Formats: sequence, structure tokens, C-alpha cells
Amino acid sequence: MKHNSDISQELLEAIERYINGTMDSKELKDFNEYLKIDTDFKAQVEDIKTMLLGIETQTLKEQLDVFHEDVLEIKAQKSESNTVRFLKYRKLTAAAAIIIAVGSIWFFSSSPNHRLYANYFKPDPGLPTTMSSSSDNFDFYDAMVNYKHGDYDLAIEKWHLLNEKKPDNDTINYFLGVAHLANKDETDAIPFLERATADSTFALINDAYHYLGLAYLNVDNVVLAKKYLNLSNTEISKELLKKLD
Amino acid sequence: MGQAYKLEYQIQLINAIKSNNSMALKDFYTANYPKIEILVLKNNGSIEHAKDVYQEAFITVWKHVKNDTFIPQNETALEGYLYRIAKNKWTDVLRSKTFKSSRPLNTENLTVVKNDEHDDEADELENEKLKSTMDAFKILGQPCKQLLSTFYFDKKSLKDIAAELNIEETTARNKKYRCMEKLRAMVIASK
Repeated sequence: MKHNSDISQELLEAIERYINGTMDSKELKDFNEYLKIDTDFKAQVEDIKTMLLGIETQTLKEQLDVFHEDVLEIKAQKSESNTVRFLKYRKLTAAAAIIIAVGSIWFFSSSPNHRLYANYFKPDPGLPTTMSSSSDNFDFYDAMVNYKHGDYDLAIEKWHLLNEKKPDNDTINYFLGVAHLANKDETDAIPFLERATADSTFALINDAYHYLGLAYLNVDNVVLAKKYLNLSNTEISKELLKKLD
Repeated sequence: MGQAYKLEYQIQLINAIKSNNSMALKDFYTANYPKIEILVLKNNGSIEHAKDVYQEAFITVWKHVKNDTFIPQNETALEGYLYRIAKNKWTDVLRSKTFKSSRPLNTENLTVVKNDEHDDEADELENEKLKSTMDAFKILGQPCKQLLSTFYFDKKSLKDIAAELNIEETTARNKKYRCMEKLRAMVIASK
């Protein structure tokens, strides 16, 4: 870093605009001209760039230690439950035997379609929750947080409000569908998934077909289940189709 | 789950990391740590080593995402990338003299995948500058530190920052400038 390089507030902010890519074309052109002819100036810009990266990196570094506490907490919870599990091992084996017995009776007495459904249904993992300036997007991701925590009722309630405003939004329809499915409510899931598949350019179309097929399978409509699984190009749909044949 | 879906997920993740979204960074951090811990513990390392190596790798991945060095090619790309970098970093530690002299080791089961994640010699000077900024920022007074990280890391606008601090936007702008000058002075003095 140059020792006697005073940088005015205006210059600092111009350099920031340059680094963030928020200069207009005229300013950018002038700035680039300067960079070409003045090597000291160029060095100054590089120094500021490094400083901004340094501020961000150090902030992240300090946050990582906070994140790490979470890792330790998760671990502690796991080992705690392991100890409890160990202590209650005998009791639990007895309980497990009963559960397995009852479960198998239910499992084998249920229809083969339900069995396949139970084997193949995994809730959609949801989208990563990102910050966004628009309030609708915020509401969408806010519900996504509930969904990812397994609070399907609350997620459905929030997405319903957005759905009323934007009934044709395929992403909202899709997640309302998969949330209803995760909530074991296939009949409510079907209309939303059907709406989500209305537009063939939807990014998650293959997943939407997959879940729609699964929903129909669980309500014992094998014809429609096959139809939609056929439309989905996912491996898991193909595998499931083979079992249905 | 379909490929399109997972790629979509990767792109969302990348964007979230680029915008320093705390929630996404935390999810990504906590989800991928256990694998690295297993790797390090199985290869002559301690839990402390695992944490250090993982955090270093995490910061490298974050930097590469930020400057577009990393672009996802498949559905688990970023997770795999983080793992490879951490593994290489751990191999470097195992090969270092200080580590070798302190204990006998067996690194046969660690094959190195050398690739772009190693910094060039030319970046050395740049790294030094980065390190002095980081060291200076670490000990910068709390109010300045808070203001600068909210602006540069959390990417909040001066308007929002001013509203939170209950001050005028121009005051926030001047404060930010003074804090930057202070930090610059500290970096220069450390030379």
C-alpha cells in the first residue's frame, strides 16, 4: 500500500463503484483510461480492492467460528441421544419389535400402490433460502424456511397467500403441491401439481411430473400415475414405472 | 430428483454465497463439515486440525465463487469442490516439515488431486496485503468494524444502515469513509 496516498471520499466511492460494477458507461470509460495511463492510480485501485476483500474475508472468518458452534451443538445433541438410546436399548428393542410387527401388518396389508409410494416418496428438499429485496420473494423464502424445517402447515398457509396473488406462478404451485404431499395430503397436492405442470418450460417440470405421478399412485389411480411418471425424465420415475409394469 | 432441479439448486446456492447470505453460508458450512472431520481424523489429524483445515478450505471456496473461478458443472459440484480443497489442504499439512517432525505418519491413503485451487506465486504479495488488512480489521474498533462489515459484507445500503443507527444518511457515509481511512492507516502502519 502506498504510504502517502490520500484517497478522497469521492475517489474511494468511485473505486467502489468500479469494483462493484455499478459505474455508468461514460464513467467506466474515463476510469479505464486513467487506469491505462497512471500506474500509481492502478496500484491504488488494486489496494482498495484487496482491502474490501480483506474486510469481507475477516468478517466471514469470524462468522465461521459462530457457525462452528452450531456444528458442535448438533454433534452434542447426537451423542446425547446416542447415550439415551444406549441406556434404553433393551426397552427400545422391545418397543421396536412391536413397532416392526404392527408396521409390517400395516405395510403388508396395505395396497401394493401404497407400498410403492411409501418406498419412493421422498419430500422435495426445497430451495436454498436466499435474501432478496422484493417482499414477495421474501415471503416465498420465509415459507421455504418453514418447509425445510418440516413445518408444512405453516409453509402451506404462507404460500397460499402468495398463490392468491399469483395463481399462475409455477414455482409456488409446485411447492404448494409438494408441501401437501409431504403433509400426507395427496388429494390437495394434485391440483397444485397439475397447475405446476401446465407450462412445459417450468424449470422443475420433471420433478413436478414425478410428484404428480406419485400422488396419483397413492390414490390408486395407476393409469394417471403411469402417464405422469412417463412424462418425467428422472431416473427414479423410470425405475418406479418398471415396478408398475 | 431431476438434474435440472439440482443444477438449479447449485445456481441458487452460488448466488446466495455471492451475496454473503448468512443463512445459506451457515447451512452449507454445517452440512459439509462432518465429512472433512472424518477425513482428517482418519489421517493422523485431530478435531482442531479438522476445524482449521475446513475453515481455510471454506474461505477459499467462498473466494472462488465470488470471483467466478468456480462455476458448477453438475448437481453436487460445490460440495465436491469444498471436499477436494479441504483434502488437498490437509495433504499439504501432512507433508509439511513441522508436521512430519512432530509425528510419524502414513499418507498413502491420501492421493492428491492437484488443480487450480493452489494459489500462484504471483499472488503471494497480494496475499500478504490481504493478510495485513485482515489483521488490521480484526483489531479495528467495534463501531467501525460493525459499520464496515454491514456495508461491505452484508451489502446493506447506507440508507438502511443510517436508519438502523438512527442517523442521517450523509453522516453514515462520512463515518464509513473515516472508518476506511482508519483501517488504511492501520494497514500502512503495520508495514
